[in-house]
Formats: sequence, structure tokens, C-alpha cells
Amino acid sequence: MSNVNLKKQSSREQFIEYAKTGKILINQCVKCNNLLLETMYYCNECFSNSFKQVSYTGTGKVVTFTIQSIAPEGFEDVNSYAWVVFKLDECRLNVSGFLPGISSPNDLPLGTPIKVIDFNDKHGLVLEKLKA
Amino acid sequence: MGEKVCVLGAGSTKYGKLNESIIEISLDASKDAIDSAGITPRDIKAGYISNVFGVTDRQVHMAPVIMSNLGIPDVPGLTIESACGSGSVMFREAYANVAAGFYDCVIALGVEKITHTGTAESTTLFSYCSDYFYEGGNGASFPGLFGSMARAYLATYKATEEDLAKIAVKNHENGFFNPKAHIRKKITVDDVLNSPVVASPLKLYDCCPFSDGASAVILCNEEFAKKSGKPYIEVIGSGRGASPAAVQSRKDITTIPSTVDAANQAYKMANLAPKDIDFVEVHDCFTIAELIDIEDLGFFPKGSGAQAIREGRTTLKGDIPVNPSGGLKSKGHPIGATGVGQVVEVFEQLTNKAGERTVKGAEIAMTHNFGATGASAAVHIFKKMN
Repeated sequence: MSNVNLKKQSSREQFIEYAKTGKILINQCVKCNNLLLETMYYCNECFSNSFKQVSYTGTGKVVTFTIQSIAPEGFEDVNSYAWVVFKLDECRLNVSGFLPGISSPNDLPLGTPIKVIDFNDKHGLVLEKLKA
Repeated sequence: MGEKVCVLGAGSTKYGKLNESIIEISLDASKDAIDSAGITPRDIKAGYISNVFGVTDRQVHMAPVIMSNLGIPDVPGLTIESACGSGSVMFREAYANVAAGFYDCVIALGVEKITHTGTAESTTLFSYCSDYFYEGGNGASFPGLFGSMARAYLATYKATEEDLAKIAVKNHENGFFNPKAHIRKKITVDDVLNSPVVASPLKLYDCCPFSDGASAVILCNEEFAKKSGKPYIEVIGSGRGASPAAVQSRKDITTIPSTVDAANQAYKMANLAPKDIDFVEVHDCFTIAELIDIEDLGFFPKGSGAQAIREGRTTLKGDIPVNPSGGLKSKGHPIGATGVGQVVEVFEQLTNKAGERTVKGAEIAMTHNFGATGASAAVHIFKKMN
């Protein structure tokens, strides 16, 4: 994790900018130290809106996932992918994203290490499976 | 809580693929409810409408159009959207307004038309009901979101895909006796397990269908109900709950906090416990949802729902029949109508109109309906009145 200093952008733009570099941008509540994803506007513990922005390495472990036979619009060109919820290695937060190249549940045991590699307009937060 | 609130009449279209417009099916269900209550439209002081995808049938601002076609253009209406929980969330607002004394009689109508868009577009439209930035926008469909919940549940508790299949079999068994059900077809565990995977580990028969349909009920205060001389039921508990919109933000993916909160409120208001409920209509958009629901509603301890299903405790003859209507799984899921359709089922059950799917001796019943993966939920408890 490291402290960051960002230009004026919307919260989602900031989240996306960091995700493109493989990082997850987190808001750390100045009042109670609670950690929240950058897109939250208020702390859900003390309701302060004073945050210190901290970037975390986008590596984590698979908490749960699914592989679908019919996908929403924009995902039709992907033969097989998993939608994954993963827990970040460096903090307690879960994030979810798009993991291409997964065609069978056997390819992705729960706990498999993964990392964020990109955020693009078409597929959102893009993940890559790491070797266990 | 102010005035006692009663359900005096109820009506539904058949659920399934319907050819009429969204307004026509709304009016068909409304007429059935009005006739069932023995009132005329002039008795209705306000209209509450729930709908999600009216825009696909070229109609938004639906309430005034429906009121106008019921011959009461001067009666105010309101349209409410809360994804798949729209019907129950809207019912709660109708209930609250009668309880508060603003109106002595209102209509609560839920409606959806979606099948004309086709499976691919419907899948996309439904994904807009998720927390899109984190879910639909990353490729999650609704079967996918519940598939991820199912995988987490099966990895945490002693439950199997076969247990999930038994939920589908039971609901199809019940829905077979419901003339208005979308899919009136008995199925076997093998049918479910051998059906194509939609979103692993969920298969086709673990999933409810996309349905069109409309359901309506007439709500009124106790004085109005008594004067009517018609059979009625009383709303004795009402609760609303909310959960983090995104699955990733839940502390425990195997429970739905909004259900727990809404149920606790409803039990407290009715001064009842789960053991007092004679049957329940729950939100079984996917089989895993029913398994989670029956635990979150307090009927079985966390992690023991699958054992209860294996023992047949949720069948029509079990100690807590779940989804005698066939549920979303068999009866169908026209998402704006579903929560109201559950109340229609309770009304029919408690006024002796449920035919072969009747839960014998039932006097107290519950409805439970949620939006998206449970981001919003409402629970209501009803009592048979003589």
C-alpha cells in the first residue's frame, strides 16, 4: 500500500486510473481508519467523509465465482470467462471483476490467487489468474 | 401503527408469455381485483403501481394511464421501481398510506412485460438491476450473481447441487396445481441436474423464467373491509430491509441482511415467531435463493436448510410449506408483479380459493420478496379473518 496524490477526477475515474495499473484505490477513513473502496462517499462505520486515499496491490484470492452460458451485452465475444469476487491480499476488502480464459469450475478452485491487470470500457475490471 | 389494514380483493393474469400490452394486462388484473373485492373503481382513493421495464413496451409514467383507463383519472397514482422486489416494496407503501389514514381504499398493482425483448436483451436489462460498476459492467448476469452465492454457500455448508434441485422439484410440484403458473410441469431431480448449466453451479431448472404478468390487490382499512361483507385478510406485520447493493460488499455472501431485518420487523410487529407461520411465499428467483431465504426468515438455523429440504419439511404437507403457489421458479417471475402475486396467493389460500394447492388449516401466512441480490427486501405477515 502507498499514499497517493490525485488530480481532480470523479471517484470512479480515480478507481479506474489505478486499476489500469493493477492497483485498487481505497479510501481510508481519517476519523476511524475504516477501509472502503474509492467509490464510497461516506464511511459506513462513522459516516465521516474525510478520507486518505491509499492504493493497494491488486492481488487477492478467489472468494467465489461463476461461469455463465449467457452473458450481458458487451460480453458476447468472450467465449468463456468467470465473474469473480476476490479478497485483496493486503486488506479485508472484497472486489469483483472479469477473469477471461476460464471455461470450467475446475480451472478456478476457491482461494486461487489472481491479480488486477486492467480496467477497460468493454469488460470493466480485468483479472488474471496467477499460479498457486 | 394507525389503522388496521386489510386485503379485500385480489386478481392476477396468467404468468408467462403474454401478447397484450403492459397496460392491458394491468387492467385485466385490476378488474379481477376490483370484482373480487366487490367494489367499484370509484371506491379507490389512490393507485400504487410497481414496474421495472415498462419502457421496453413504450410506457413509463404508468400509474395515470392505468387510473385513466379504470375510469378514475382524478385518482392519484404512483409508480415504484425496486428491481425484482418492486411489488413488495410498493405494497409496503400502499399499506403505509392506508395505515396512516390517508386513504380508506387503494389498489396495489404490479406488472411486467419483458418476454418480447428476448433472452439476450432481457439478460442485459436485468444486469442493470445490479451494482453495475462492479457487477453487470464486469460481466455478471443475474444467474451469475446467484451462481456466485450458490458456490459460496455450497463451499461453506453441508449442501449439494442435488439439494438445490429438490427445491426446484418441490416448487414445480406445487405450481402444477396453479392454473396461472408460467411452467406447469412436474420435474425430477435428474431433470434439474441434467439441464444445461446457465451460471455454474446453477442449471436451467435452478432458474426462474422471464415472465410477463400482472397482479393486483385491493387494500383498505378495517371499517371499509367489515362494511363490504366480503372475506378479507389482515396485514399484521410489515418490514423493510436493505443490504449492500454489491455482493462483494457483504460480510457474508451466504445470507441476505435485508431479509433478516425485514423479517425481524414483521415478526415484532405481529408479535409472532417463525413457528407461528403456517406457510410462506419466498423469493426463489433461483433455487439457492430459497435455501438462503428459509434460513434468513428464521424457519431453520443457518446451514441447516438443506437438511430440512431433504426431510420434506418445506413441501405442502411439511411443517412449513414454502411457495405453495409454485414460487417464482414455476409460477413465474414478472419482476414488477411478483411481490404482489405473492399477496394474491396468500389471499386465495386464506379465503379458500387455492384449490388443490391449499395449505390445510392455514391462518397465518408470510410473503418475502427482494430486489436484485437482496439489496432491498420486504416481508409481510397476514392473518385470516372470519
